[in-house]
Amino acid sequence: MQKVLRKRVFRSLKKHLIRYTMLGLMIVMGIFLVVTIVGSGETLSRGTEDIAEQTALEDGEFEVFVPLTEGNKAHIRDMGVELEEQFYYDYEMDDAYFGTLRIFRIRDRINRAYYISGTEPAQKNDILAEKRYAEEHELECGDSLDIAGVSYRVSGIVVVSDYDAPFKEISDTSCNSRSFGPVFLTKEAYEEFRASGRAQRSETYLYAYRLGENATDQELKAYLRDIKIEAEEVDDDLFREYWDRTAGVTDQLTEAVSGLKDAAKEVRDALKELSEKNGDITDAADLLFSAYLQQTADALAGYGFTAELTEENYGSRIQEMTDAAPLEEMKRSLTEVREQLDALKEFKDGLTKYTDAVTEIADGTGEMEEGVEELGDAVDDTIEELDLELSNLTSFLKRSDNPRVFATKNDKVVDIDVGVIAGIILLILMAYVISVFVVHSIESESSIIGTLYSMGVTKNDLLLHYISLPVVVTFIAGLAGVLLASTGVMAPMIAESSYVYFSIPVFEFRVPEYLWVYALVFPPVLAVIVNVLVISKKLNRPALSLIRNEAKQGKIKKVDLGRLSFIPAFRIRQMLRELRSTIAVVLGMFLSLLVFMMAVNCYTLCENIAKDYSADTKFEYMYTLKYPEKEVPAGAEAAYAYTCKKEIFGFNFDVTILGIDDDNPFFDVKPSDSKLEVIVSSAFAEKFGLEEGDEFVVTDEEKEIKYAFSVGEITKYATSFFIFMDIDEMREMMGEADDHYNVLFSAGKLDIDPGRLYSLTSRSDIVKGAEVFTSLMMPMIGTLTFASAVIFCVVLYLMMKVMIDRSAQNISLIKVFGYRRKEIRKLYLDGNFYVIAVGALIVIQLSKKMMNMMFPFMISNVACGLNVETPYAFYIIMYAVILALYFFINALLVRRLDKFTLAEILKNRE
Amino acid sequence: MYVEVKDLKKSYGEGGSYVEVLKGVSVGVERGEMCVIQGTSGSGKSTLLNCIGGLDDIDSGSCRIDGLEIAGMKKDRLSDYRRDTLGFIFQFYNLVPNLTVRENIEVCRYLTKDPLDMDELLDTLGLKEHAAKFPSQLSGGQQQRTAIARALIKNPKLLLCDEPTGALDSKTSRDILVLLEKINAKYGTTMLIVTHNNSIKNMVHRVIFLKDGEIAKQYTNEKRIPAIELEDL
Repeated sequence: MQKVLRKRVFRSLKKHLIRYTMLGLMIVMGIFLVVTIVGSGETLSRGTEDIAEQTALEDGEFEVFVPLTEGNKAHIRDMGVELEEQFYYDYEMDDAYFGTLRIFRIRDRINRAYYISGTEPAQKNDILAEKRYAEEHELECGDSLDIAGVSYRVSGIVVVSDYDAPFKEISDTSCNSRSFGPVFLTKEAYEEFRASGRAQRSETYLYAYRLGENATDQELKAYLRDIKIEAEEVDDDLFREYWDRTAGVTDQLTEAVSGLKDAAKEVRDALKELSEKNGDITDAADLLFSAYLQQTADALAGYGFTAELTEENYGSRIQEMTDAAPLEEMKRSLTEVREQLDALKEFKDGLTKYTDAVTEIADGTGEMEEGVEELGDAVDDTIEELDLELSNLTSFLKRSDNPRVFATKNDKVVDIDVGVIAGIILLILMAYVISVFVVHSIESESSIIGTLYSMGVTKNDLLLHYISLPVVVTFIAGLAGVLLASTGVMAPMIAESSYVYFSIPVFEFRVPEYLWVYALVFPPVLAVIVNVLVISKKLNRPALSLIRNEAKQGKIKKVDLGRLSFIPAFRIRQMLRELRSTIAVVLGMFLSLLVFMMAVNCYTLCENIAKDYSADTKFEYMYTLKYPEKEVPAGAEAAYAYTCKKEIFGFNFDVTILGIDDDNPFFDVKPSDSKLEVIVSSAFAEKFGLEEGDEFVVTDEEKEIKYAFSVGEITKYATSFFIFMDIDEMREMMGEADDHYNVLFSAGKLDIDPGRLYSLTSRSDIVKGAEVFTSLMMPMIGTLTFASAVIFCVVLYLMMKVMIDRSAQNISLIKVFGYRRKEIRKLYLDGNFYVIAVGALIVIQLSKKMMNMMFPFMISNVACGLNVETPYAFYIIMYAVILALYFFINALLVRRLDKFTLAEILKNRE
Repeated sequence: MYVEVKDLKKSYGEGGSYVEVLKGVSVGVERGEMCVIQGTSGSGKSTLLNCIGGLDDIDSGSCRIDGLEIAGMKKDRLSDYRRDTLGFIFQFYNLVPNLTVRENIEVCRYLTKDPLDMDELLDTLGLKEHAAKFPSQLSGGQQQRTAIARALIKNPKLLLCDEPTGALDSKTSRDILVLLEKINAKYGTTMLIVTHNNSIKNMVHRVIFLKDGEIAKQYTNEKRIPAIELEDL
């Protein structure tokens, strides 16, 4: 039976050749585009990985103030870490056209050069130039390049994996190979340059490392951080000035505490000595007072007053004598005597109090000394805790945190994700379209199927028969698509933008294994799944029902339209009859728009970035300072920036906490006096899905601390992931001095020694950097737009054609009745206009909303906001284009109406 | 003559598969007549009906309907001719399956500015209570009555019926014929009925026999028997 049925497969293919050809071509196109886009992404991605492997790409790099000692290096080797010095000088060329060169020594083991052309240097003054820089400056092998008065001959054009994206600074937003590029001198030439004193800046001591089996970045970093040096060892005046002013104050603090200790000791000794004399003083005072009492008693006895006077009774006894004295003059004399004794007693008591106090103070100095000792210890602890000893390590960059490394690969993640998803969407749609065809066939062959059933043919036989054509068509189309794509015919166009931006060689286009599986297995499997689901239900009907071709009318199709006038009622009935095709049209429109919205979102994101970066960047220059001056330069606004990390979808992004004054003219934010409630940039809020009132945490990986904040306000700022704080609050939070700053924003260029800078970013750099995104994405955007338009047209054409074909007999019938072409079109085609018109209104919004939901996942590796807001005019144009495409397809199909002859209806007779 | 066919020829195919179906047929039918065309299978009766209905091209000869020559007429004009003049009834009803009885009738009602009253017609044809039903919910007879209603709604001058009872049982066939007779009487519609059924010839005004593409016999039935009285269908 299968043999006979197989013959029908070929006949069916022949009969519906146009239909299956179009469908097949669409799958070919879809697979071709997906394989080209994804394959191109994979080619670049894997190509850069291969080169990284071949050239021993670093696992990370670090910079130090002073070169590591042999002991340090030996220790690092013992940790299982391979190290190579990759010291460099930045040299601004005399001719501004050549920008800044980063002069390296040729690497031996790590980050070795990969030759695009030329050879290794043969002569001392041979030089290797980086590919992108060479392209921008039209340098070729054999050309000479003058650096600091020495002429070098370009012997090779190379790429190095640690400059896959040749950013000058890590913080740069875009590469500019016109103004910057690395070059590599021979060892002798490099030493000569170093010795010549022609360098404009001090040498940067950069080391690249590769980890052994058990070594980790953390261990290496911890070791390096613990290598302490004396500030004097650092050969940089600017650094030393800064150090003395900042971390150097700890020395003053230590000295002050030490002085305090000495002073406390002296005080203690003096008081001890004093307290030792206390007994003598009090004894002398007692003696003096006793002697004076005795002298008074003797004198009074001479006047007839006899009494024994003591310290306790002298007052009362003299008072008694005074009262008893007969003469006023005597009374006066006795009062004076008593007053003199009172004064003397007071003196004696005072001395006692004084000696008691001296004793007490002497006792207290012990405690004071202990306290000063404790203070000294606390200061020492604090200094140790603050790690204000000078660590030799100035920067440590793991490979995964280095934006220069695997930049091409990371850039291609979006292309690959978008391509694969777009392909799946397309294939699901195609599978559904095929199922519509198959259902059409089954319905039109209902009586044949019923007859075959009645003759004993099983459902599985028929199922196999009906799915064989879709499976074969999808497989062949997938094969054709992948074979065509594997020629790489369109790959250069897709990859072009990467080749003119990243520093990579031109790779031979390769289709990775999984794309072969994707192209060859996925379409037929999807066709089997969808068709089995759809066909099974159709084949489940009893044989008699199939033989009679009983049309099963569902409740929806039987809907009561009341006395609706004929044309609308007819169109509604037609639409309900062709519900499956109508759904396919709407689904096709939805899915093609979903693909298009991918392109729209990519485009609007890039455009909005370019626009927002320009609008939001109000400063002309941003100076990131290594060694800030004590006073903020005139015309600059100081800020304090601190970089933390925040993770989303497995990607760890840099987030900058930016402390600013509330009158900073370059940012439209007024941070509150709070360390908890902060203002975040819209880019940050969009990327991490934050809204006002939300709480979030960022991680300081350096200090291994987490900071928790709540979103007080979201400010429109698309350029960076910023958390705005009041600068004073931030200084306090970070334990910095109340005049600390490390970033300057200005409207004009500042006169700052370049040695103080980490980086200088100009507004034009930022704006230019933002515009790069659009050019990088354009090939994919164009391809997706083209593909979505084709998908829409083909699906619309095929489904409207199916609808017409299914109505062939009815069209023929109404032609018999005398209907004119225009009227037939009105009944059978124009109803679709409302489906498209209303469907497009809904589907445009729905697809945009859905894509907005999916988009963050697709660009999860990209460090930017998610402003995919699309202008209304765009939607209007999109709507108009959809209708225009509909009218175009409609016009094509109107001609098809003429193909149905009147004989069609006459066939339906005995 | 209302229908006047002269020396009408029609052939199909080429070379070895060439078949001359009508070999110079000439017939005439008066206005208001019911005429049956009979013949064996392959005799050309349906082809003749199709040529008169403008569904098939005429190779040569003449075919005038109410004085209008349709031989050689362009497609658009033929369409107008069918629209203005004809009503069709087919053996397998050819109802639009996704339209209700009323909507199926409206398909033809739409084509005329002066249609018959829909409700009256539904009533006449016994379809009033089935007006909202779909064809799949109707019996064969009800479906054919719907097809008749659809053909009649625009009050055609000429009704072409191709095996109108071919798919029906004898009781239902008789009902349909009675109905056609009534319509003929009520609206004066000229009818051309192609059928294998011999009994029908007794109820019509005119009988035409075709054999191998030629008129074997044609006559006027003087002794018409009303359809209701037909014994064998």
